[in-house]
Amino acid sequence: MLWLQLLVNGLETGCALGVVAISFSLIYATTKIFHVAHAGIYTLGGYLAWWLVTHGAPSVVALLGAVAACTAGGALIQSQLYARLERRRATHLVILIASLGTLAVMQNIIASVFTPNILQFPIPWAANVVALGGEVRLTWAQLLTIAVSLAAYAGVMWFAHYTILGKRIRAVASNPFLAQITRLQPQSVYVIVVAIGSAIVALPGVLVPLDLGLQPYGGITPLLTATIAMIAGGVGSITGAFVLSIVIAELQNLSLLVMPGEWSIGITFFIFVIFMLFRPTGLFAAR
Amino acid sequence: MDFWFSYITLAEIYVLLGLSTNLLVGIVGIFSVSQAAVFGVGAYIVAHFLLAPEPMSFLPALGIAAAGCVVLNVLVTLPSLRISGDYFVVTSFGIQLLATAVFTNWTAGTGGANGLPGIPPPDLFNHKLESTGQLTLLCTAGAGLGCLAFFLIMRAPFGRLLRAIREDESAVAAAGKNVLRAKVSAAALAGAFAGVAGGLYATFLSFIDPSSFDLDASILLLTMVVVGGARTLAGSIIGPFLLLALPQILTLLDIPTTIAAAMRQLLYGMLLILFMMFRPQGLAGERL
Repeated sequence: MLWLQLLVNGLETGCALGVVAISFSLIYATTKIFHVAHAGIYTLGGYLAWWLVTHGAPSVVALLGAVAACTAGGALIQSQLYARLERRRATHLVILIASLGTLAVMQNIIASVFTPNILQFPIPWAANVVALGGEVRLTWAQLLTIAVSLAAYAGVMWFAHYTILGKRIRAVASNPFLAQITRLQPQSVYVIVVAIGSAIVALPGVLVPLDLGLQPYGGITPLLTATIAMIAGGVGSITGAFVLSIVIAELQNLSLLVMPGEWSIGITFFIFVIFMLFRPTGLFAAR
Repeated sequence: MDFWFSYITLAEIYVLLGLSTNLLVGIVGIFSVSQAAVFGVGAYIVAHFLLAPEPMSFLPALGIAAAGCVVLNVLVTLPSLRISGDYFVVTSFGIQLLATAVFTNWTAGTGGANGLPGIPPPDLFNHKLESTGQLTLLCTAGAGLGCLAFFLIMRAPFGRLLRAIREDESAVAAAGKNVLRAKVSAAALAGAFAGVAGGLYATFLSFIDPSSFDLDASILLLTMVVVGGARTLAGSIIGPFLLLALPQILTLLDIPTTIAAAMRQLLYGMLLILFMMFRPQGLAGERL
């Protein structure tokens, strides 16, 4: 029965990872910026929620507060950093280095304020266990993560295909130059997209630490895994990113049957190399 | 006096690493945050051979480390560079995290989080170099050779080819040059520099542990190149000397020791952002 529990755990981590992947994919496919600082936004959301909860805010308020702050943080990075660099005709490499610098700044401000140690959320109900029949059990935090992640995936799909703003974003993503001359204003779309992506990534940013605790440098591995899922799923495909996140998380969890958990980054990376060698455009690549 | 010697020696080792990073990031324009991982592999290989029951002498061990790092870099860069620069960002983050996992968890080979203590000092032609002064001379020679090699390569047709790739990749490809081969060769060369630096580092400190080769160390290397100045020899020399002096200045401020490391990394991050915003060419470099 261990493998069944591992499958269920994989579904849970995969859903959370999937939300990170769609948020990153949204930003990357539109702005073409490899937004490394996204890992910082992810971490920031968790810490803000923790701070709000320890200062007596109800859990829902803490979650919404974190989402709002991450939205603002993302918009700030795009409008004050990336857009400025873009205006100076900075190369792709320069923007990447600035993004990495932003990540280092965010992580280390968090580490200086909250100490580099692991913090646990003081929310007792989150750790209560629900038996799902047989030996399989999940905590409330994990169930909530699955529910919120699926809702976020559905929400993003609906938003991208059925709203005016979603269509405008897809137009800018597919051809910024044409979007510019048809007055879709790519620059303001970029700010909106990074803000939306940051809002979405705050959800797993808060929900995952409910279960696993917070660490200032804990954002890089999920982001890396999520980018690998995005590439393997096909850049620009929201469904691809989400599905592949679940597949990767399942493989990582099942690998626990044969090797210790410290090596799961190896599994992830192995999947990436296989994809690069045999199908670099990803499984769900748009033609 | 010993303090100055060890500062200079360490800075010289980082000059080699700066050259390695500069070659990839500055000259060819490939973003990399895995230089510290390659550096670490070099250090662990040399430590392994010097600590073996029948210790090897220093130079062959250094040669094996350099060769190992060349092979590693070629294997790592070949698949991802074939596709796109952004994929290499994923590769380099992945290699860095994977290397940290190996350094920390493969206890039998790397001593795990406790590291490998008691690495013997280097020997040259059956003569042990034990005093700090001798080690400084060795590292000066190493860094000097590295700088000379960098200077000569940049003047050679191969150096011009690398710089042309950074300017306009499709034009170079259209001129009939093999872009992928040139990029992978540059990565191989960067691996050799990092491997040699790793060997010198292991024997100089006589102790290595995973914390010297983690993502933070890679960010430090990138900051050195960015602050010193990308694409020039002078930049790769100024950067390390300047940034290794910075923590000494930070100790003058009254910062609690628990967050001292975080404050240092915070400063490096700020330097990266500010230089990219206001002076992308660094103190003595060319436009990135």
